[in-house]
Amino acid sequence: MPSLQIKLSGLLLVGVLLLHSCNNNRVSPTDTVPDTRDVYRPIYSSYDAVRSIQTLAPRPIRQAGKIYIKDGFLFVNEIGSGIHIVDNRNPEKPVKLSFVSIPGSRELAIKDSILYADNAVDLVALNVADPTNVRLVKRIENAYPVTAYPPMRNVRFECPDSDKGLVVGWKKSDDKNVNCWR
Amino acid sequence: MKTTFISFIFLLSAAYGCSDIGVSKSDSVASAGAGTGGSMARFTVAGNTLYLVSNTTLRAYDVSNSKNPTPGKETKLGFGVETIFPYRGNLFIGTQTGLIIYDATREGDPRYLSTYNHVMSCDPVVVQGNLAYVTLRNGTACRNGLNLLDIIDVSNLTAPRVVKSIPMINPHGLGVDGNVLFICEGDSGLKMFDLSNPTDPKLLQHITDVRSYDVIPSRDVLIVTGKDGIYQYSYADRKSLKLLSKLTIEPIV
Repeated sequence: MPSLQIKLSGLLLVGVLLLHSCNNNRVSPTDTVPDTRDVYRPIYSSYDAVRSIQTLAPRPIRQAGKIYIKDGFLFVNEIGSGIHIVDNRNPEKPVKLSFVSIPGSRELAIKDSILYADNAVDLVALNVADPTNVRLVKRIENAYPVTAYPPMRNVRFECPDSDKGLVVGWKKSDDKNVNCWR
Repeated sequence: MKTTFISFIFLLSAAYGCSDIGVSKSDSVASAGAGTGGSMARFTVAGNTLYLVSNTTLRAYDVSNSKNPTPGKETKLGFGVETIFPYRGNLFIGTQTGLIIYDATREGDPRYLSTYNHVMSCDPVVVQGNLAYVTLRNGTACRNGLNLLDIIDVSNLTAPRVVKSIPMINPHGLGVDGNVLFICEGDSGLKMFDLSNPTDPKLLQHITDVRSYDVIPSRDVLIVTGKDGIYQYSYADRKSLKLLSKLTIEPIV
């Protein structure tokens, strides 16, 4: 059961990191000033769901992140969820070919036909030679430390709970009763 | 007739060359080497090495065999690391407190050269010739920053020095291509500068109705990401950008 062991130790590590980070970020009990900072809550996913990478039909671009070009193709990161592949050989008429679902992804770079992306805590190498059939060629597990806080600064957030899974993103929330901040 | 013949050859070569993936070579991402990212990139490929910057570290992966990235050296960088830009064997790393330069001529084994410190800001960097162009932006993520374009002379890589600071509105990503420089001004538009004198950019055009975050200029086509869409402009005519297309960004429902 090596994979289970990896998952368990991964979870343990997440837990340790979370505890550590949250202790640093707890609101002190004497803090009674009304707080107007934005509040975020974590979006959780299971390790199995996070590690499932699929080539899907083109879909709307909603939150464009990093961009990358190679051989007349344009790659657009959909922040936190994947990469749109666009045939851009005619820049007057870009055509969306596919959406590669990569939970937690924000970054990308390409060498030859291989696209490197962050897949939450893992680094993945994907063969994108055929943009409509993207295939995983290598996964390096736990290449990244788990981030236990949102990327925005000066915000409050619900402290992540590792029992609920891996944090793959953050959503604005109206819940003012949260205990972490940064 | 000629067209039919060419199509036939095309189909034949497609069927022969790439039957396993079902598309012809011209329809695939197939050429050797790295592509091109924007100035906000945290991943970059230089030679046979993939470099990733996290908030505090620079991590090298050997990608001599691109299908088999292999973890290599990890270098501590400090904090607030935001972007990485490779140029002529060197790595230019933008952080919230300055620009860090590493010599990357020994593949996968970057060697520290220098740091150019500035006030706390967000700051992507691009390099051309002996000059680094750095935007410094004030913002919630970067607190007390200023809004500036700094031009830094890096002819001596161990002693970078600022040669010019130009006030900007709210600069994000930037791109340089020969005699032209592009600066994303966030909600305040997109600027194109003439760089005939590389230390003295002259504003050519300021498009105010495009909200822009990052750009990739390549072969007279500028790709711009913004809040409302991914715009492409021709900059073949350096006097004014010509809109080629827009991929709409649709609101989250």
